[in-house]
Amino acid sequence: MSRWLPRTYLTLVYVLLYVPIIVLVVFSFNDSRSGYEWGGLSLRWYEALFNNRAMVQAMWNSLWLALSAATVSTMIGALTALALHRYRFRGKKLLNGMLFIVMMSPEIVLAISLLALFLLVGLKLGYVSLLLAHVTFCLPFVVITVMARLSGFDERLPEAARDLGASDFTMTRTVLIPVIMPALVAGWLLGFTLSLDDVVVSTFVSGPSYEILPLRIYSMVRVGLKPEVNALGTLLLVFSLFMLILSQWILLRSRR
Amino acid sequence: MSSVTQQPFRTAVLVLVWGWLLFLVLTPNLLVVGASVMTRDPGSFLSLPLNLDAYRQLMNPLYLDVFLHSLYMAAMTTLICLLIGYPFAWALTKVGKQRQMLLIFLLIVPFWTNSLVRTYALKLLLATNGLLNNALMSLGIIEEPLRMLYTEGAVIVGLVYLLLPFMILPLYAVFDDLREDLLRASHDLGAGRLATFVHVIVPLTLPGVLAGVMLVLLPAMGLFFVPDILGGSRNLLVGNVIKNQFLDARNWPFGAAASIVLTLAMAFLMFAHRLSKRRIGEDGV
Amino acid sequence: MKKLALAGMLAIGLTGCSSEDPQVLNLYNWSEYMPQEVLDRFTEETGIQVVYTTYDSNEAMYARLKLLDESAAYDLAVPSTYYVSKMRQEDLLMPIDRSKIEGFGNLDDDLVNLDIDPDNQYSIPYLWGTTGIAVDTDDVEGEVTAWADLWDERFQGRVMLTNDMREVFHVGLRVLGYSGNSTDPQEIEEAYEKLAELMPSVRTFNSDAPRMPYLEGEADVGMIWNGEAVMGKETMPSLEYVYPEEGIIAWLDSFVIPKNARNPEAAHQFISFVLQPEIAALISEDIGYATPNQAALELLDESVANDRASYPTDADMENAEFQADIGDDALQIYAKFWEMLKSGR
Repeated sequence: MSRWLPRTYLTLVYVLLYVPIIVLVVFSFNDSRSGYEWGGLSLRWYEALFNNRAMVQAMWNSLWLALSAATVSTMIGALTALALHRYRFRGKKLLNGMLFIVMMSPEIVLAISLLALFLLVGLKLGYVSLLLAHVTFCLPFVVITVMARLSGFDERLPEAARDLGASDFTMTRTVLIPVIMPALVAGWLLGFTLSLDDVVVSTFVSGPSYEILPLRIYSMVRVGLKPEVNALGTLLLVFSLFMLILSQWILLRSRR
Repeated sequence: MSSVTQQPFRTAVLVLVWGWLLFLVLTPNLLVVGASVMTRDPGSFLSLPLNLDAYRQLMNPLYLDVFLHSLYMAAMTTLICLLIGYPFAWALTKVGKQRQMLLIFLLIVPFWTNSLVRTYALKLLLATNGLLNNALMSLGIIEEPLRMLYTEGAVIVGLVYLLLPFMILPLYAVFDDLREDLLRASHDLGAGRLATFVHVIVPLTLPGVLAGVMLVLLPAMGLFFVPDILGGSRNLLVGNVIKNQFLDARNWPFGAAASIVLTLAMAFLMFAHRLSKRRIGEDGV
Repeated sequence: MKKLALAGMLAIGLTGCSSEDPQVLNLYNWSEYMPQEVLDRFTEETGIQVVYTTYDSNEAMYARLKLLDESAAYDLAVPSTYYVSKMRQEDLLMPIDRSKIEGFGNLDDDLVNLDIDPDNQYSIPYLWGTTGIAVDTDDVEGEVTAWADLWDERFQGRVMLTNDMREVFHVGLRVLGYSGNSTDPQEIEEAYEKLAELMPSVRTFNSDAPRMPYLEGEADVGMIWNGEAVMGKETMPSLEYVYPEEGIIAWLDSFVIPKNARNPEAAHQFISFVLQPEIAALISEDIGYATPNQAALELLDESVANDRASYPTDADMENAEFQADIGDDALQIYAKFWEMLKSGR
């Protein structure tokens, strides 16, 4: 009994988790306009998607934003993690606390606070405001990923490097960076996905000059059932699955 | 430690990190606090004088009602996540290590998929002409389609669906750490299954429970797109109120005050979490 | 150090914005309120790309325009009547240069030079329409002829309302026999109480595409815009548009150019483009609202011109009331009761 009970339960929950996703994927190939009836196999919604110029533009915008946000947050996040790990400085607790607050606070709070800031400094809402916001909410996740990697790291290595006359910068570049590389990749991928998925923060800090995918999807979904959304959702699913497998593969390989 | 002047790299790193966090985390949060004590202005966004009107408005029965209803939906979401997630996390630790990795992976996959798209997929299932109703009707379980979409229940289902992994992962972490020898010791000392559960398992997994509650309860009050899509623009969350105040009604002080209440709720939960962790630490486990 | 961080970001930001094309028209419009074909043809003719962003209420449009005032985000917006005067009075609009507008003379004399904008200095009418009752005749037994019928017990949980404060209160006020443009706090409160009785019946609010809840089978009766009713009937023939006895809600939506628009030149071009009789007719045929363009009326397809939903008869318009500007004070009262209404359970 003690074997099949947990298994049945696990299976049940997984079925519930995956039914909506499977429905979405299946219906993205549905020829019928209706969201409920099966009208034969078709790729027409994928075609409609790629013929929609605004949609394609939003896709590119989103990809570029996610790419740059992930990159910037990985760079800053890695440096933050290194600083927290290696240096003793005043206000370290405050720094830690701020990162924790960003991670824990509801997105909507972050969103309005950033909107207030951007209005105050007169920053035009568009790519730059989106980038600043996305980097900010990705940052703590990168820091945590990298810190986790650093915590299992042999402290004598950097000491040895320093004893051999390496400067702090050189030591970081030649010793620490290679060690935290897998964490950087994982953090980057996490940031990329978070940015690509974000609706709440983007709703507040975006302008019409830079339309991104989640907001486009939001306005489509609010209008009603649209088969194009199924197609788009399926594409996003395949894409993130690919990214996820990639990140797991990199992490696993680095452990060996 | 060598002095700052000898370490330009260290200085540069610290300046960058501090600069970013002060400018994009601390300042904005202070701005929100500031905005919440200012006065609504129809022409511009905010104006003087400073006062606590926004907070007084929060105490207005109308908004109190919205808050309580939102809190109720978020609490229900959290409770359901916990009821599903607790046995789930425990069951996860009962399967082989290799398979555990795969199952965790499968748990994270939906989380990596666009949350709007997943909410939308739920709409396909819950609609009156939707697949669930069709299936139930063709099985002869129901005669008339159930009206599930645009109800409080639909909002809660949506929130549970989006947030369940956030409950499971911290719970899995604590169950994974749960040492078999402790359970065996409890058993050897004559404790029954129930006693072991109440006196050993529950206290030891409490930090995981609180972490999960924290990760579910707060987002469950803020995810405004869920009521928009599944709640028919009714059954509003605090997130909807905040969004409306900023983007429709243009009452910034009130929106800011509402968001500060959310932040305080977060602080409270974080405090409880720390406390529970410390207690276990002091118990020497 | 803040500056340092910001400068770094800006440098990265610049590369991201490099694709910025000066020949872009940022059009801010209601959801599904302009056929894609019109936008494509405009781009084809002028080479100007149209970025089409949408809103679902005048309030949201107004708030967003104010928010993005400095960044000159939008070149053209389409507020309803009462927001035209509000925005004009608040100095949010740029005067329209009539010498750059072709085809203004085509517009219906009754719909220009209104009180909301004397001599049309700031606004050019785009479409007009009505908000009436939608009935799914397959699922509703018996007649529905008046707003008051929505309160009928048999519609429990089957009613849809637009997500529009003024329109919903308009219905409440008319059922009580008041003007839909009332500014009397007493009357507004009475309307709120009346509407609160309706709330248990209300299934959803929708102003993104009010036809969808009917098509999706979620609602069987309720409010709808005439164009949405026409579009909905194409996929669901049982969807009927009813002119309520108490009188229909009538409105006019106009093009306005925000004061800080970056490309007012293109905005003028676009207005002229839409004023062409052929284009105006195409829009009316495609999305089912009535064009104020007299020259276009002659080009309309018979079936559209004779569709009572799109083009009401004089009898249909008997008790009709146009939405008027009611001033900021009254709006605040409405807003308060609106929130109470939507959050009440």
